[in-house]
Amino acid sequence: MDEGLAAIGAGIAVGLTGIAAGLAEKDVGAAAIGAMTENENLFGKGMILMVLPETIVIFGLVVAILIIMG
Amino acid sequence: MFGHKAKGNYAYAVARVKAKKAYLIGNDTYQKMLLMSLPEISRYISECGYMKEITELTSKFDGVDLIEHATYMNMARVLRSILNSTNGELHDTLAKYLEKWDIWNLKVILRGKSFGLDADGIREDLIPAGNLDSTFLNKLVSLETGEEVLDHCKNIGKVIPVEVIETYNKENNLAIIEDFLDKYRYEQLLSSINPLSKPTQLYQDFIRREIDITNIETILKLKMEGVYGNNIMKYIIPGGKDISKKLVVRLANAETLSATVDDLAQLSFYEDIKEALDTNTKSLKDVMIGMKKYKMKKTQSFSYLHPLSIIPIIDYMIRKENEVNNIRIIARGIESGLDKDIIGGLLVI
Repeated sequence: MDEGLAAIGAGIAVGLTGIAAGLAEKDVGAAAIGAMTENENLFGKGMILMVLPETIVIFGLVVAILIIMG
Repeated sequence: MFGHKAKGNYAYAVARVKAKKAYLIGNDTYQKMLLMSLPEISRYISECGYMKEITELTSKFDGVDLIEHATYMNMARVLRSILNSTNGELHDTLAKYLEKWDIWNLKVILRGKSFGLDADGIREDLIPAGNLDSTFLNKLVSLETGEEVLDHCKNIGKVIPVEVIETYNKENNLAIIEDFLDKYRYEQLLSSINPLSKPTQLYQDFIRREIDITNIETILKLKMEGVYGNNIMKYIIPGGKDISKKLVVRLANAETLSATVDDLAQLSFYEDIKEALDTNTKSLKDVMIGMKKYKMKKTQSFSYLHPLSIIPIIDYMIRKENEVNNIRIIARGIESGLDKDIIGGLLVI
């Protein structure tokens, strides 16, 4: 029973952070593509900004691992 | 989805115009351009984003005509490319704002027809930056008379009331149609804005301030010509923000320009035109420049307040138009042999 609830908790942690990262990346990605359309040199900056919201998923993943391992 | 119109790709469009804004000619560069000859200016602007148009038109025009046509063509392409890169409500709002250029083109065609200009002559002065594409504009240009042009405009929903056309036919005064078109454009634009959110409220404020600026320009110009009272009132565009109807009547009825200063002091942009009004009552040039600077300052500050809204896009469009106007002022000034300081004083920077 406890293991099942922990698995659900871990799933929620990864799932919700994934959705949140997706919502954030939607605008960041669109803006990065827009800026790159005008200036190709902005690729590097755009790429860095694009992956920043991914950190939210990493936090979620860490929380999920802690739940499973704990 | 489900019949609900998408809001639009604000992030993409705003990032694009912000990147474009970085390519606009800087204030210091205008000072350098003042020291150049016309061929040098042509070469210089071709390195600043106008290369395609300069190359395209170089066999057809030269000197100041080349610069004028290339800058206008470039502006039309840039504005249309921004419009085409947007979608949803953002596209609709932007299209409504760019109707400004449809009205401009319509006026150019009507003026051309009334002065008997040939089709090529009219076509050269068109700026297809609005919603009307080149095919439709060419169709309008190919029509014989102004009446036919106005009649054909019904196809795109621009219906000029019968009484306006009758007055125009009776007095043979194109200004009647032009005034109607200006009022019609602002009326349509204001009714298309739904000020539910803060950015749309700011956009509406901006348009209403633009109406104020246009009205003040009209009042001051007519006052310089000794016109006052009801003769001014018929040119006033309704819907301004700071200028109430009462204030407009007071400004219109004041017999001299200096008598209007106290009333003008109530306006939000008074600080920007105060100096010009104090020092130079014989020319309105500095006052107009002051108001243009105010408009640019306002859109810039609004665009910082709401980065993901239409305002940064409008801010860029105003700056692009200003850049084109500044280049043309420099080119025309140099061609006429004007003093560098005088040309510099005409620039909006």
